[in-house]
Amino acid sequence: MENIYLPRRAKITKIERQSPDVKLFRFQKIGGPANYGASKFAKNKNGLIFNPGQFILAGIWGYGEAPFGLLSSPYKNSYLEISVRNTGGNVTHALHRLQKGDEITFRGPYGVGFPLDFLKSKDLVMVAGGYGIPPIAGLIEYIIKNRKNFGRIYLIYGAKTPQDLLLKSKINEWQKQIKVILTVDNPDAEWKGAVGMVSELVKNIEIDANNACAAMCGPGPMMTALEKILRPLGISDRRIFVSLERKMQCGIGKCQHCATGNKYVCADGPIFYFDQIDKNWD
Amino acid sequence: MLIIEKQNISEWLDGLTKKMPVFAPVRREINGAEESVFGEFKPETKIDFDYLPTVRSIKEFFLPEKENIFVFDKRKNKIAESPAPKKFALFGLNGRDIEALAQLDEIMAKPDQDFFYFQKRSAATIIGLLRESEKTVSGCDLILSKINQGQYEIIVLTEKGRKLVKNKLFKNEPAIITSGGSKSDEIMPQLSELLKDPELLADSVKWSWRQDYAIWEELGNLCLGCGICTYICPLCYCFSSEDSVGLDNNQCIRARQWDACTLPRFAQISGGCNFHKTIKERYYNWYYHKFVRAYEEYGKSQCVACGRCQKYCPAKIDIEKYLIRIVENYKKSRQ
Repeated sequence: MENIYLPRRAKITKIERQSPDVKLFRFQKIGGPANYGASKFAKNKNGLIFNPGQFILAGIWGYGEAPFGLLSSPYKNSYLEISVRNTGGNVTHALHRLQKGDEITFRGPYGVGFPLDFLKSKDLVMVAGGYGIPPIAGLIEYIIKNRKNFGRIYLIYGAKTPQDLLLKSKINEWQKQIKVILTVDNPDAEWKGAVGMVSELVKNIEIDANNACAAMCGPGPMMTALEKILRPLGISDRRIFVSLERKMQCGIGKCQHCATGNKYVCADGPIFYFDQIDKNWD
Repeated sequence: MLIIEKQNISEWLDGLTKKMPVFAPVRREINGAEESVFGEFKPETKIDFDYLPTVRSIKEFFLPEKENIFVFDKRKNKIAESPAPKKFALFGLNGRDIEALAQLDEIMAKPDQDFFYFQKRSAATIIGLLRESEKTVSGCDLILSKINQGQYEIIVLTEKGRKLVKNKLFKNEPAIITSGGSKSDEIMPQLSELLKDPELLADSVKWSWRQDYAIWEELGNLCLGCGICTYICPLCYCFSSEDSVGLDNNQCIRARQWDACTLPRFAQISGGCNFHKTIKERYYNWYYHKFVRAYEEYGKSQCVACGRCQKYCPAKIDIEKYLIRIVENYKKSRQ
């Protein structure tokens, strides 16, 4: 029997500040328990080191663990990337004090990611808000690697201010392959993009509603995006995939913290069909 | 019929303690009241043969209040796992506690086997002790089922159990069975009845949150959110993990410990967002888990009507009464 709570050890190979309170961490495996010794991340049956939408529990000795969505390319088997907002909590605060070369731990990847086979050959509208970009970023990396297998791809990414938009250099790369619409609630003088999650954004999106899906991640206001953008586009709730956030301790469907209605966000999600969780008791 | 005389049980257990520690229900004074608890068996121990619920449930033998997941030694740069648990025997579980343990086994195996739970589970030998009114249930290694005032029938369920009865104190001889004892010692009889229809309970509890909200307003006002019900419930198993370090900062210990879904920060995430802000929501979640989510996951209510939560609730919430009311109201709404 395997000790499913034992973490693996990893070394930080890159830290990049993304916004005043968010940093990106790249890390690679280091020798852990004997059976995890290999330095590359193992591939799953999709040939990926994680399914986009899955998460890990990253931790620091003495501070605990917290869940983070994976944002790097699932094809790069030498490293994983997460972005961490310093909320002032134990783990995120400690992570923000770390330097390149420092050690962290991780468990996972856990959970169910986006339904990659179902998304194939369809048009896709992705909506991310603020810190909700990581799982969407992982999905975009997958799509770009398999660009020919997908239809028209849009990313609508909104944040409070231009400074709060994360992963700017990645977005620049993505723009070569997919259509990106950036929007902020409080623009500054130089801002040229859209303002707010507004219905006008629909005009910029050309999809075949009969053959389209949506993917969504972000805080509560994303409901606005749903009402103003995704539903007007004609995408049904069953075809909208959302990534949920909850408190997680075990990551494997036991500890009960992440339960929402009859689902466990860690094991049944974090990616759900929208109508799976819409009417659920929380 | 394989039987053991009641008066010989202590002698048999005493012999068993030579091989492994044995825990049995005993009476103890706790805060001025006499209560039943599972304590270590010694030759002078007087066993509480007909205990109603013990204060704390037997889950803590397998899912203790707090246990180390690992100890990381910074100087040696090594993770030390906890040593494997030693063999022990748990004697005297009543029918409901056996049933609870069987359910907990099912829960802890899904979706992956819980390492620490099953480590201890395989180190344990479980011996049930049924009153005359209790039906045989599976889930332990050996059952002693009361057949008359002085004798117990032996029911062997596993190989571990078979080994235990190779002892001269167990005799194969005819015995007189005095039929079924009185029902007066039944705990929560009406809830026990309700539990026979877990689907109805699931539908009723789910329905009540939207359609019978007054009941939850009422319960939200009564519940203190202290979490006692979850700690003593044999089928509550929420936990959280916490790191700690020694004063010299050389050791990091990650431990998991019981948590309670009724406590204020159970569903609060980093950054402050709390998905279950009010006591009402949290208390409902407790029922929702036991009767709705559990039914959908396992086809059963996660309750065996052991009576602990009701007996020890400091707010004296009559859980049985409320569940009956919810089910009755639901039935009425369907007419």
